[in-house]
Amino acid sequence: MGLNTILDGYSLLFLLLMEEIVTRQNYSEKEKNEIFNNEFLPHINSMYNFGFRLTLDRDDAKDLVQDTYLKAYRFVESFQKGTNAKAWLFRILKNSFINDYRKKTKEPSKVDYQEVETYYNSEDVNRQITPDLRVESLKDMIGDEISNALNALDVDFRTVIILCDLEGFKYEEMAKILDIPIGTVRSRLHRARNLLKEKLSEYAKSMGYKNTEL
Amino acid sequence: MTPPNNPFILADGKKPTCMEMLQVIIDGEASDEQQEYFKNHMDRCLPCFKSYDLDMAIKRLLKTKCCGGDAPTDLVDQIKVQISQNSAS
Repeated sequence: MGLNTILDGYSLLFLLLMEEIVTRQNYSEKEKNEIFNNEFLPHINSMYNFGFRLTLDRDDAKDLVQDTYLKAYRFVESFQKGTNAKAWLFRILKNSFINDYRKKTKEPSKVDYQEVETYYNSEDVNRQITPDLRVESLKDMIGDEISNALNALDVDFRTVIILCDLEGFKYEEMAKILDIPIGTVRSRLHRARNLLKEKLSEYAKSMGYKNTEL
Repeated sequence: MTPPNNPFILADGKKPTCMEMLQVIIDGEASDEQQEYFKNHMDRCLPCFKSYDLDMAIKRLLKTKCCGGDAPTDLVDQIKVQISQNSAS
């Protein structure tokens, strides 16, 4: 019986994505459960938030997190105890989102990365994109403005902001989670922040407009 | 004006833009030398000075407003049940 008939297509893809992991551990059932409880489960809130910010749906987020944890348990022998469990889990969730959720919802990536790279290497990067956005106007954004602005970004731009600003991953960790070079992490982050500022600027304008009316 | 000893200059010799330097600082990826350089740079670059405050404020706002929510209470139990079912089968 060939390998392809033993493993379903997705499992095979998943194993390929794990290609950088060369050492497989041989954990006992007790050790597996310890890793799961002590290294994986403490990240469940961050994972759920990531799932929600990607799918923008609480039920889908729940499914995605559940699926991620089941895969993490199934492939626990590919995980080395004491290494970066959070980055590993985020990577699995991101892959599940792309391979399962996005396919299901048929939502293609709308980002032209070549355009992003070209933009980043141009003189435009030093341009002050949102001169009217001030720190003071952010202080009035005590509701959902920032959350809505983040959610309105294209998912690939949203993702880098979530990983960097919400979860505090370093560029190198983000590169591994997203399977992209560090240079692309930087350029995508830069573009994402400018887009976020444009959205926040719109909110600031609308808030100012309301204030003058009052 | 970027002095020749700019520690942000990459191996390829490309001169970094203000925004590139700022991003490295904001994200805590800068070395001590780069932080020191940027501190001095900000004293003579008003756009960087303003952008630094704004970018830091946005980063703080994102952290306080967009995370911190808890996963549904039944999620962990559901995952554990699923794992034990898979292990049994």
